[in-house]
Amino acid sequence: MNFESRHLTALGLAVGLLAAATPARAQAEAPVDGQDAADILNALTLDAPAPQASAAGPRGPQSMNPDLSFILDGALAGFSQAPDQRGGHDPAKNGFNLQQLELSVKSVVDPFWRFDANLVFSQFGVEVEEAYATSLALPSDLQLRAGQFLTRFGRLNPTHPHSWEFVDQPLVLGKFFGGEGNRGLGTELSWLSPLPWYLEVVGSATEAGGASTARSFFGAQDLGVQGPLDLQVTGAIKQFFPLSDAWSLSWGLSGATGPNSSGRANRSDLYGTDLYLKYRSVAGADPTVIGLTCEALARNRQVPGAVLSDAGGYASAFWKFDPSWAIAARYESVTGTANDPLDPEWTGTRQRASANLTYWPSEFSRIRLQGSADLRRWVSEPTYAAMLAFETVIGAHGAHAF
Amino acid sequence: MRKWISGLLLGGLVTLFPLSAEAKVKVVATLPTLAAIAREVGGDAVEVTSLAGPNQDAHFVDARPNLALALNKADVLMVNGLELEAGWLPVLLTGSRNSRIQPGAAGYLDASSLVPLKQIPQQKIDRGMGDIHPGGNPHYLTDPRNGGRVAVGIAAKLASLDPANAAGFKRRANALKADAEAIASSQSKRFADLQVVERHVVTYHNSWIYFLDWLNLIAIGTIEPKPGISPDPGHVAWLLGHMRKVHADVIMQEAYYPTRIGSLLASKAQATLVVLPGGADFAGGQSYLDYVKELTDKTYAGVVKDTGR
Repeated sequence: MNFESRHLTALGLAVGLLAAATPARAQAEAPVDGQDAADILNALTLDAPAPQASAAGPRGPQSMNPDLSFILDGALAGFSQAPDQRGGHDPAKNGFNLQQLELSVKSVVDPFWRFDANLVFSQFGVEVEEAYATSLALPSDLQLRAGQFLTRFGRLNPTHPHSWEFVDQPLVLGKFFGGEGNRGLGTELSWLSPLPWYLEVVGSATEAGGASTARSFFGAQDLGVQGPLDLQVTGAIKQFFPLSDAWSLSWGLSGATGPNSSGRANRSDLYGTDLYLKYRSVAGADPTVIGLTCEALARNRQVPGAVLSDAGGYASAFWKFDPSWAIAARYESVTGTANDPLDPEWTGTRQRASANLTYWPSEFSRIRLQGSADLRRWVSEPTYAAMLAFETVIGAHGAHAF
Repeated sequence: MRKWISGLLLGGLVTLFPLSAEAKVKVVATLPTLAAIAREVGGDAVEVTSLAGPNQDAHFVDARPNLALALNKADVLMVNGLELEAGWLPVLLTGSRNSRIQPGAAGYLDASSLVPLKQIPQQKIDRGMGDIHPGGNPHYLTDPRNGGRVAVGIAAKLASLDPANAAGFKRRANALKADAEAIASSQSKRFADLQVVERHVVTYHNSWIYFLDWLNLIAIGTIEPKPGISPDPGHVAWLLGHMRKVHADVIMQEAYYPTRIGSLLASKAQATLVVLPGGADFAGGQSYLDYVKELTDKTYAGVVKDTGR
């Protein structure tokens, strides 16, 4: 632990001492004893921080401003009959659709936190999609997030439209979580296990209400939080297996529980599993990327006099065959219940098949043509849709999770 | 009594010290070339991992969770910097939960701070110019003199983390720097025989400026119309005409770019396509200077083959 070159506050010192005491962290150095710690704390209250070494080379302009980026998603869409799109940013009407304008603001706050916010502009308003702080220096491989965030249930829910392979959100996420997916104000704690492969355990508690989220819970009929049991609790286990340099497999198990809008004592339980298999060559100029995604969800909701059970999922395949071109296909199936007081418009099974072609003029823009056939059991004819979607990114290009 | 306690403490230290001295410093480098330098400087006192492979485009690396796992265990992170890793490193760094290697912490080294940089934009920039790097051209390790500078910086960083081995780090870094400078001067003498017209070079991406300046080669165009933008027919046609007019002997590109346009231009403009590794073959045990020699030998062979010398 190189204390001389570190800015240490009392908290930093505590974390530093804890790290120094962990055998795996030990370097070839003398241990720090209680007297050292007291001297350091004493000196810190008297002295200004030590100056940092200056960079040797000439540098470009520096700035303390956060990284900003704007992402515009829009689509020209046509539907063969009245559509029933479930995602909050899906093209949902004939003609031009402004799916979203996302302003992403990111920065490290101090040595202990970073801050990320995604503000989404529609034509008529602004919403705080996400705004959260993430800890950078918790001991024992723990990490804390606090604020408004998309919960890490499943593979697609924590992501934003610009990292999706399709123009619209899977039906099951819209039906079970709401148009904005599963998100809320709350806190998340995650832990990276010391196992030799990647195994992360995530748990969060969030508000169970919201007009376009937490739909299986309080949703739009928010009964308010009176005790800890009125929060939505979400848990997940994320595992990753690098099968080879080119092949990757990730597997997640997720669950969520909380009260629903049919009464504070009535609970909803959601279960999910997701599997993602990816091929991407790391040798030579092969542009091929193949991604296979499966995600399945099931839920039980207590309502007065009954327990409603339904399930749904999707499977998709993505094939990038050229540095600028890719095709993708997706199949979805979601069940429904005839007498569902919480979702009366969805009375039976719904299936949808979609295919799309994507072209990237550069890393910062994307044009997609997507077609789909949507068969709702309670509507006699399938709904056919065609969408021409356009996306541009300006500013600092945010890094994407795997 | 006090003597007894201090004797016990000292004894404890003596028995603990060899244990901790054997613990190797865990170095994670983003790029294999940087990893190769770190391995040579660190010797047996370090354990080095590279996040990217030699044939991966460092602009686009998948943020695979196993890379976050490597960062979680790292004592020091060495990055190329200048936003080369901006598309994938930040998410891994946050996911690593490792406060010792965050930017600004003792275990973080941005190697670009150790070398004189080229192509720092002086005018206002925007992405209409392609994917350009506001801090300067990030491909500085293709010039061995920069590799030597980075080696010395790595030695200083490792010495601050593992003072017991500081002398060894310094000695190996100075040796690498001296060898790198010797190779730099012998290779530039070798290339000095070339005629002006033989010095004309086309590259795929604007990633060879340090290499070309060092060997006094002249870039006459890139296959990409702008950095990060795929070639289009109009630009390729212009480049072919330009190559025929000013005569270019060699087309250089990293192995991770497609070779279709390069081979076509080579056959139509009587040039040689030289496909070069994108980084040192760190996993295969290649040293930094062997990588530099591979770059120069293949480039020189391309020129000589073309001119028939």
